Formats: sequence, C-alpha cells, structure tokens
Amino acid sequence: MILGLDVGGTHTDTVLIDNNEILAVNKIPTESNLVQTLKTAINQAISDVDPFQIERLVFSTTMATNAIIQNQLVETGMIISAGPGIDPHLFAVGPAYSLVEGSLDHQGIETWPLNKKDILFAAGQIKNKGIKTIGIVSKFSVHNPIHEIQIKKWVTKEFQHIFLGHSVSGSLNFPRRITTTYLNAALSKMHNEFTAALTKILDEKGCHAPKFILKPDGGTVELSKSNLFPARTAQSGPAASVMGALALDKCKGTTLALDIGGTTTDMAVIVDGVPLRTPFGIRLGNFHTLIRSLMTHSIGLGGDSEIKVNKNGIFKIGPLRKGRPVALGGKVPTPTDAMITLDLLNIGSKTAAIKAMSILGASIDLDAKSTAEHVMLEMGNAIAQSVKSFVNYINSRPVYTIKEVFYEQKIEPERLVIIGGPASQLAKYIGESLNLPYEVPAHAEMANAIGAALARVTTEITLQADTRRGTVIIPEACFSKAIDPAFDMDDAVRLASSTIREQALKFGADPEEIEFSVVEKQNFNMIRNYSRVGQNIRLKLCINPGLLPEWKRNF
Amino acid sequence: MIKAPRRTGLVFFPAFDWAISPTHPEREERLLYTQDQIMEEGILDIDGIEEYRVRPATFEDIRRVHFCIPNEEAVTTKSHLISAGGCMVAADAVLTGEVESAFALVRPPGHHARTVVLGNRGFCNINIEAVMIEYIREKYGINRIAIVDTDCHHGDGTQDIYWHDPDTLFISIHQDGSTLYPGSGFPDEDGGPNARGSTVNIPLPPRTGEKGFLFVLDELVMPILDKFKPELIINSAGQDNHFNDPITNMNFSARGYAALTSRLRPDLAVLEGGYAVENALPYVNLGIILAMAGLDTSFVKEPNYDRDYQEQPETITRYIEDLARDLKDRFLKDHKMPYLKSGQIISRTKEIYYDTDGIQESQNERIRSCHDCAGLLSIESRSSLGLHTMAIRIPIRACDACQKMGSLWHSKALKNSFDYVYLQNRVQNIYEVF
Repeated sequence: MILGLDVGGTHTDTVLIDNNEILAVNKIPTESNLVQTLKTAINQAISDVDPFQIERLVFSTTMATNAIIQNQLVETGMIISAGPGIDPHLFAVGPAYSLVEGSLDHQGIETWPLNKKDILFAAGQIKNKGIKTIGIVSKFSVHNPIHEIQIKKWVTKEFQHIFLGHSVSGSLNFPRRITTTYLNAALSKMHNEFTAALTKILDEKGCHAPKFILKPDGGTVELSKSNLFPARTAQSGPAASVMGALALDKCKGTTLALDIGGTTTDMAVIVDGVPLRTPFGIRLGNFHTLIRSLMTHSIGLGGDSEIKVNKNGIFKIGPLRKGRPVALGGKVPTPTDAMITLDLLNIGSKTAAIKAMSILGASIDLDAKSTAEHVMLEMGNAIAQSVKSFVNYINSRPVYTIKEVFYEQKIEPERLVIIGGPASQLAKYIGESLNLPYEVPAHAEMANAIGAALARVTTEITLQADTRRGTVIIPEACFSKAIDPAFDMDDAVRLASSTIREQALKFGADPEEIEFSVVEKQNFNMIRNYSRVGQNIRLKLCINPGLLPEWKRNF
Repeated sequence: MIKAPRRTGLVFFPAFDWAISPTHPEREERLLYTQDQIMEEGILDIDGIEEYRVRPATFEDIRRVHFCIPNEEAVTTKSHLISAGGCMVAADAVLTGEVESAFALVRPPGHHARTVVLGNRGFCNINIEAVMIEYIREKYGINRIAIVDTDCHHGDGTQDIYWHDPDTLFISIHQDGSTLYPGSGFPDEDGGPNARGSTVNIPLPPRTGEKGFLFVLDELVMPILDKFKPELIINSAGQDNHFNDPITNMNFSARGYAALTSRLRPDLAVLEGGYAVENALPYVNLGIILAMAGLDTSFVKEPNYDRDYQEQPETITRYIEDLARDLKDRFLKDHKMPYLKSGQIISRTKEIYYDTDGIQESQNERIRSCHDCAGLLSIESRSSLGLHTMAIRIPIRACDACQKMGSLWHSKALKNSFDYVYLQNRVQNIYEVF
C-alpha cells in the first residue's frame, strides 16, 4: 500500500493506493503549521490501516517554498570566485557574500590561481558574523570543480555545513548556481528539522516504510537524501498534478494536461507519457535557480475567480480571487456560481448563486441563466487562449542545430486531460473552444495526491570530457578523473550510464526499474591550426519523470 | 535580477551540425565556447534580453539580393538559409518594436558573398546582412540603411551588392587589403556612378589597437553616419580584429569591441568572421551583447589580456591620424562630382576568385546612370564552371526609364545564347531565370 500526500495552499489531500486501486481519499484544510497539518492528515489517512501494510509514503510539501517566501532562511555565507564576465557583485546573496581571487575559463582551465591567504581571510570574516553554514561557488565549476574543492579543504574546519556549487546541477549558469547553492545551504537547517519531525510522526505511528519527497520535476527523492539538496523539494505542487494526470490517463500521443483549481489553472504538455521539462530551473520568490521542473504554466483563472462585466458585455474572469463564491457566502460572483446556476454543481445556496448571476447580467440585459452560460463560454475561451499561447511558447524555444530547425516536429496537442475541482463542469467548454477531444478521469479532484504517490525517482547527470586536457567530469555525481586521448563517445556513454544508475540508487530508486534517456549527446572535434588536438564530448542523461512500475492500471 | 537599460534581442544559431570541412575554421566547434560563456553568464536571465528562435530564409528572400548560378539549391546549404533567416528574425524583433536592438549570433557568415554567387568565397555563400536588409526594405518599407562592417577582412561582397545604391551607406573598417584577404577595400573604392560616397573604406595597418579603432570610429564613422542620417544602423560584427585571432594581424580586444558597440549603438548586429574560438569569441560576443543591452562591460576581459595585449605603436597612431584626415576630406566635405547625363551606360569588368571552391569568374557590369533611382544594372558572367550568364537588376523604386530599359535589356538577352538569363525586378517582385 502506498500513501500519497499533497500539501496545497488551501487543502491537504491524501490517498491510499493498493493493487492498482485507489482505496481511500481524504481532504483537510491546510493549517499554518505544516508539521501539524501533516500529522493530522497522516492520522486521518491511516486511521483504519495497519501501519505495516504501508510500503511507501510520498510527500509533496510546501516547506521549502514557504521558508523562502517568508524569508525564514538561516544565515549563510558565500565564497565566490568569478573571473571575467558580468560583474559578480551583481549576484550577491545572503548576509556575507565574499569574492575571492581565482578563476577558470569556459573550458575549466585555471587562468588565475586561488590565494589561500585571501580565502582564509574571507572565511574568517564570515565566521566572525557567527555564520556556520556556507556555500562555495566558482564560475565554470561544472567544467572543473577543482577551485570549489580546494576552497572547501582550506575552510572545512571553520564551518558546520558546506555546500558546493558544482553538485547542484551540471548546467552552465553561474548566477543561478550561486542562488541554488545559497538556497540549499540556507534551507538545510529547517529542512533537517522538518524531515526529522516527519520521521518522528511516522515512527510513532509505526510506519517504517521508505519515505519520499516530490520534486518540481515530477520525480521523487528519498526523504533522508533530500537533505543534500533541500531546495529541490520546493514548489512540487504543479508537478504533483501533472503526474496525477499521467497516472489517471494513459496520456498517449501529445496530451495537454489542465488542472483547474479555485484560484489558478495550471497546464503542462505530456508527450507519449513523458511530461516536458523546462531547460533551466524554477523561480522561487525572487531567486532564479537551477532546480529542474516540469514545464508548466499557471494563469489566474479558477472556479473562484472574480467575474466582472463591462458595458459592452465583455466578461473578464480573474486574475484575482476575492474570497468564496456567492453561493458559499462570498461577495463577488465567480464561475462556481455560474456552475451552480446551470445545475452543473450542487453546493451552497443556489438562490444566492442565481441572484449573483442576475445582478452580473443586469447591466447588459441578460437573465441569470444566459449570464451563467456566457461565463462558462468565456472561461472556456480564456483557458483555450492561454493553452494556445503556452503551446506557441514551447514551439518558439530556440534550437541550435540544422536538424532541429528542419526536422523536429512541433508540439501540437491532440487531446486534453482535465483535472481539478471544476474539471468536469468546464471540460466541454474548453474542449469545444480548442476543438480537441477531452477526458476527465475518475478521481480527477485528487490527482495531485495520486501523482505524488505514484511518482518514481528521477535524476540527471551531465558528462563533459575533454581529451585534450585529459579529463572527464560529472558534476552532479562529484566525479572527475583523468582520461587518455582515445576516450570516445562509447566510453562516455558507458561511464555516464553506470553513474546515473548509482545516482538513482542513492536517491532511492528501485534497481530493477532504472530507465534513462539521452537528453543531449554532442561530440566536437577540437581543431587548432588545422589539425585535431582533441575531442570535446558532452552527454546528458536523465531518468524522466514517470510512474512506479507497479502502477499498471487498466484504462 | 539584472535589468538591461536597452531591450535587446538575441538570435543564437551555432549550427552545431555544420562545417565547411572537418578542420576548416568555419566548423561545428566555432561557437561552442561562446555558447558556454553566454550560458554561464546567465545572459538569458537578464530582464530585457530576449532570445529568439531562428527560421530558415526562403529562396525568394535570397533572390532579392543574389543571382545564384545556376540556382539557389546549388550554392546554398540549409545552414546558409538558417543563418540568413536568423538575421531576418533579429530584424523582425527590432522593427516590430519588441526590442530596441538585436544581435544575430549566427554562422556561417556572409560578407564576402557578392551579387552573383557561383560558390563559396572567404567562407561565405549568401550575404546574410544583404538578405536581411532587402527583407527589411520589402516588409517594413525602410529606405536609408547604413552598414558598418567591423570584420578584419574587407566586406567586399557587401560592397559589391551596394556599390550602386545611394540609399545604403557601406562603411568597412578592416586590415589593409595590401596585407590580407581579399586584397581590396582602399579609400578610392567609394561607390558607383549613381552612389558615389556611399561606400567608405577605412583600411587600417596591421597591429592597430583599441586606440586606433576607436579613433576612426569617433573621427570618421560617427560623423559620416550623422551626415548620411540612416533610419537603421547595422553592424557586420566580425571579430577577427582580435589580438588572439589566428588568421589576421590586428590588435583589438573584447573591451574594445564593447566600447565600439556602445558608441555605435547599432540597431542590428550580425556576426561575421572571427576564428579565435577559445580566447576571443566568448569574450567579444559577451562584450557586444552587454554593450548592446546598455550594461556594464568593465569586467569583460580576456584571461591573457594583461599579458598579451599590446598598445599600438606611436607610428601607427600617426599613420591612422593621417589616414583619417584624408578620409575626412574625401567623405565629409562636399565635392563637386563629375556630371553624368542620365541614361548614360557605364561599364566595368571584374575578375573574381572563389577561394574555397576554386572558381574563377569574369564579370562585365553595366549600370545606367540615373538621377532618379539607383539605376538599372546588368552583370554578364563567364566562369571556369563553363557557364555564360546574364543577370539584370531593376532596383527597388526604379524610375520608369530604368524599368523600361530593363525590359528591353531582358528581352534582348533572351535572344542571345546565354546559358541562363536572370531577372531581378524589385519593383514588380518578379524573379525569373531562363
């Protein structure tokens, strides 16, 4: 039996899944105290279950996101070595940001050595502020981590927790590497406390099964291992929904998944069962990071959005939400009131909903029913428009090879899968507006918790080999070694394959089911003075977001 | 987050799957380290910098500029179409007002490609700036355009294309043609009979440094631009004047290119040559992007700058001062031009060598002297490929007389025994080959 739990802004949902069946679902209001919310949700979810029956627990939480937004980060120092480029002072973050001597060029070749005295001085200044946690980042450290590793060796006695930039991601982006390393470091204390509290709750319940946390890329990581990269657990909500859509529907072909909530509607594209991911990383508060996420787009349009109508009879829905629908005691008309008026939904006071619709339509001479019908059409159209611009955005992403320009197929959704509270009421309107077939799967309103429960472990690695320099590096695995000039793409693939396997196991993957794909594979001849001096090999492998192999539901 | 004072578009197409030949300077690896530098700097996260996806140019886009012999398929590859199309994407971004300026960081380059194209010269098949400019004229109706070519090699292809066009100012700053390919670009090459003074060549001596480049920019280029009053300024941003470049002898730097870009403030910049793929391009391109966006460039510096950059010698400073004086006199003072009667036909012959493809071509060019338009043009070409062709251009906004005479020339050519007869009628948008 698997327990899936998704903490949302207003509700916390839990599901219990066993033998391809959704056994029980539960919904409670989210309280301000996260641990308390989790405790209540777990208690209710497993009140009728023998804790030993639970084989796996997966949590999609708001801990990291809240800590960042509410600025509850622990004081963290940063030691940065940069070199030529954009002024590195512009990337300053945290209370003690120290630039030190030393730089590497774009190939990871040292162009300015580190200065031990300078670094110890910087470390001393940070320590004098009473700071115990630091991040160390150097420019181009993913092409050569030597400076970060050396700085760590020199200052290791001075600090309790040290986070290195090259381990957060294999992608190039110095400012984001600084930010992401900072967030991992600054969240580490709170995250450790949170995982300890969560473990304690479960231990007291007698649940000793493996525990996982969902990440924004739609994959999971084992709870204890999440302490290595706490920021990777932030903002997993949209991914939970996408994975839910995937779990409840086959998502064959090119599917557009829509999750309609009270305040927002989120969308994502799933191609042959694999959700599309963003090329860089999520934004958390004001921080741009290197944390992978699914490519999702959110618009301020949901069941409880405010509706306005102007004198020309144009309806405007959202982006604001001003409390509850009129039928549930709120003050401003909402799409939910329209659904109640049209008998699509049976909650709250129908009289109040009808009254809200007739007031809304009065200025343009429409009765309550016609007004409600207009609202539904307008909502369908507005979502359809956003879907079109989202797809357009995906198709206008830059490409760098002739092959991609001429032969890559554009993304064109063939069908819709719609989940979330008002999914069934709105599906027809959206489907008709986009002229696409649509599906509202059973349990659509609990898709997020189901998605969390069934998501498998994901990871990615980036290999870069330079045979002229004689090095191969896999930053995410903190791996580097010397190679001989004959090292080629086959060697790279072999090395990367075994490394991603080890990484996946480390993060809690099931050894039987590790499947990875090649995201990037490039091999450049390095030519100097008209002759070949080496090869520059680049390889990126990833375990795509996907479902646990035991989930073999008949659709 | 960093915010760019000037909204800037970036079209990046490194063509990671295309090379002239495996060890040629124009190869897959060329923009690899530039890409790494741009990505590592987080350029695309800067508020106000937008990256655009390339699209291929069509053969019609090419026919507005070139006569491809025997046809476009034969002399272009997909990569050329994308490179030219990338420039058009950059132009769209600027002219629709989405950004204030844009940089097409694309390859392969194009400034050695002339009006007639038989193959590859100086790594170029299709003149990507010219394809962009004629697209701009066609789509946005913009007329007066200035090109400032800062590649180390004389932009002889662009010069050839705009030799007769009084509405296109072409300024080339390059290493003196007596010391470098293609061996042209001297001050007395100053435009055809209908467009005298709209071609400006500034040949600089080997070892010219930051000081020399910026001096001619301030003293010559900017005043000539002020006088011409272009609606658009385009920078052919070749990067081989760099002190690390392996195939040239100049002494320019990334900070120099950045300063030049800040002062020139081009609406559009297009990458041309530049083959110090590791130790110049990443820094020069970064400097150009930051400068276009109006951002600080003071931290952009080659790792070996302090060790290897050399100030230009005093003798060179004096030489450049003298040169600037002569050129000022030639281009900034009003001279009485020799009077040519409208309708007079003036011809010249040219010998052209396509170094990459080993083709020799002889051209006989005729231009109709005209007071009302750029003038009717014909180019008769014989080449070592064994082809004998005639190409006729009726320019954009051609006057009635030139249009009428163009039809006459065309029908006459069709009666002759040319292998191919090409017509480029920009007034009626007719492009034909027989």
